[in-house]
This record gives sequence, C-alpha cells and structure tokens, in this order.
Amino acid sequence: MDARFTGMLKPFLPHLNDRPITPDISLRQYGLDSMQAIELMFAVEDTFGVELTDELLTDETFGSAGALWEAVQSLTGVRTAS
Amino acid sequence: MPDVLTELPPGAEAGAALAALGDSGELTRLYGSEPDGTLDPVVLRGLLGDAHARLRPGVVLSLLVHLASAAPLLAEHGRTATGLVALAATDTNSGSDLTALSTAVEIGPDTVVLDGAKRWVTSATTAGHALVLARHRPGRHFTNFTWVLVPLNAPGVTVRASDTTMFAGSGVGHVDFSSVSLGRSALVGRPGRALAVFARHMAVERLGSAAWAIELCRKAIADTARALELRTVGDEPLRHAPLVRHRLAECAVRVSALHGLWTTSCRRIAVDRDTTAAAVLKAASSAVVDRVLGECAHLQGADGFASGGVQQLRAEAAVFGIGGGTTEVVLGNVADRLDVVLNGLAS
Repeated sequence: MDARFTGMLKPFLPHLNDRPITPDISLRQYGLDSMQAIELMFAVEDTFGVELTDELLTDETFGSAGALWEAVQSLTGVRTAS
Repeated sequence: MPDVLTELPPGAEAGAALAALGDSGELTRLYGSEPDGTLDPVVLRGLLGDAHARLRPGVVLSLLVHLASAAPLLAEHGRTATGLVALAATDTNSGSDLTALSTAVEIGPDTVVLDGAKRWVTSATTAGHALVLARHRPGRHFTNFTWVLVPLNAPGVTVRASDTTMFAGSGVGHVDFSSVSLGRSALVGRPGRALAVFARHMAVERLGSAAWAIELCRKAIADTARALELRTVGDEPLRHAPLVRHRLAECAVRVSALHGLWTTSCRRIAVDRDTTAAAVLKAASSAVVDRVLGECAHLQGADGFASGGVQQLRAEAAVFGIGGGTTEVVLGNVADRLDVVLNGLAS
C-alpha cells in the first residue's frame, strides 16, 4: 500500500491510534461506519481518479485495508508491494 | 428576485408552484442552464423563503424535497424531472435506519421488478413519479441499494394518503409496490451507489431545510411581536413588557446564530457536499425551531390554538427533528466526526 493510500485512509479510522495501517486490518473494527464508508468511497475515487465498478461495490471491498487497496490497484493498474 | 409565487393563490399545490417557478426561469437560476445535480444555495433559500411567505407549510415541504434533493439527484444522472417528484426512502419498519430497509428491486436483463412499501412519503399523492430507494441484494452495506424511478400510476403501485390532519398540501402518503415491472431505464444511477448519492443530496436538502427553518422562525417571531403589540396589560402593549422583550430577543438571537451557521456553511454543503457540516446544521436548526416556536406559542397564549395558529405550526414543525434524518441520527453523524467539527472551530 502506498503512502497516498494510507494517508487517505487514516482519517477514516479514528480507533487506529498509532497502530500502522496494514493490509489485514478490519476497517470496521477501527471505526469505519456506514456513513464514513460512503465518504471513503468518494475519497478513493477523488484521490485516484477512478470510479469503483459494479463488481467492486461490495461489502468485501470495504472489509479491510488490503481489500480496498486491491480494488484501487485493479482500477489504476498500480502495482506496489503491500 | 421576482417573487413569482405571489401570483399563486394561497391554497396552491406544489405542482402549480413548481410550474410557475419553471415558467419564470427560477429553476434555471437555481440549477443553471445545464443541470448537473448541483444548485445555487442562495437561490434555493430565496425560493423557499418566498414559498413560506405565500404557501402552506405542507406545500413548502413538498417543494423542499423536490427542489433540493429529488430533481438534483435525477439531474446528476442526466435525467430531467417532469413535474413533481417524490423521494421514497423510508420503509415501513426501518425508519431512519435506511440500511435495514426491505423494499427490493430485482434487476433483470431488460426489466426491473419492485416490491415493498414506503411510509410517510412527501408528495406521494401529488407527484407523478417517485424516486424509490430499494435494495438489489441483501445485507446492510451501503453498496446494496439502488434508485428506481417509478411512475406512481404504474400497475402494482398503490398510493394512500396518510391519516393525518397535519401538513395540508404536502401530499404525504403511503406507497405499496407489488410486483411493479418497469424497463431498465427506470434505474437511476448505477446499482450500488444509491446510498452514496443519497447522502450527498440529503446534505443539500438539510441545507434547504435549515433555510426554511430560519424563515419560519423569523416570521413566527415577527407575527408574535405584532400580536403582542395589540394586546395590552394595564395601559402598555404586552410587547413592551420586559420579560416579553427579552424572550423575543432571545429567539431572534438564536435565529441569528442559525443564520450565521447557514451562511458560513452553505457553500461547503452545496458545493463540497460536506455531510458533516450538513449534520451540524440540521441538528442546530431543529433545536432552534423547537425553542423558538415553543416560545412564540407560549407568548401568544390561547390565541395560538386557533385554526392554523402557531400551535399547529409548532406541531408540524416537529418534522425538522424527524424528516430528512432524526436529530438522533444527525447527532450521531456529528459524534462520529467530533474531532473534525472541533478542529473546524479552532481559531
């Protein structure tokens, strides 16, 4: 996950405190509620200039940091080490 | 701004008001010549103020929903509202908990089939179409919902007026959908994005709601002051009694504070679609309406209970704390973003 992604994601995880964002962390567990998930979707689209496809508009995409990063990668073609 | 609504009779319906606004070019001023789902918040406030001065509160409610959320939501997806459009979000049992709604749409290759029931839908009996929030798959996640534009005279649609003496002219009613089959063009926007789109347009509706709240309170205070000028205690108009003066002044201060909040946050909400700012404004406006109308109703004494008097207005105005998201829901939104709200207040 790149710094732009984790920097965008961090404000949506108020319970994260100083814990680093790793692919396995549950977004819901660290404070992403339904309303904030909507804002996160728009933040992803604005930050990376993409629009999440129908196939990616699922609960699973917003389940973990890694799943969301995978979705971003699939849309941008960006491949970096997680 | 020319007040085109003054040409209408006081008992006019929302559809007639909407047509008048369209004919006069006011809707173009509101949405621009090429509507894209955004609007000018100052124009919206002016239109709602004019509507409140001229039309029944129920009609203003109907116009608010159409102007601030239904029509922009359609425009964002390249669709044009032909006549008054209702927004049917609230299900029978789930209320403000939209992710629990059960109205469902089955999306096929050529058709969509809608089943479910919506309650307390503004404009249900007066609109030609309803934008219906439905789920296309089970589960509470925000990506499970879709908008469907439904002609309210389509086979399988049953509309009943809600059993209430309040909100005359609002067309509020209950709508049942029983195997309502429509072409796929009835889908508005992509499946899975309905709640996301709704959140942004609801923010603008909350901005419009607060604009109406300011106008409603302003007029209620002015009406109360005028009424108390005509009533005397001893030789003095009641309006001049120190206690009355202070209470009216306190009401004016509260409305002024709401006006200030509206003014500083209107662009953030209408342009940037700041849902947190909209939640703050919605919570503030319902509190101000409740307090101001309570004071005005008390100060007007028994006269307030006359038909169409301030007591009825006060009862109807409880909708500011319920419709478009209850006070508890919007305070929950604010609580979720407490740090952001507090940081925004830092000098």
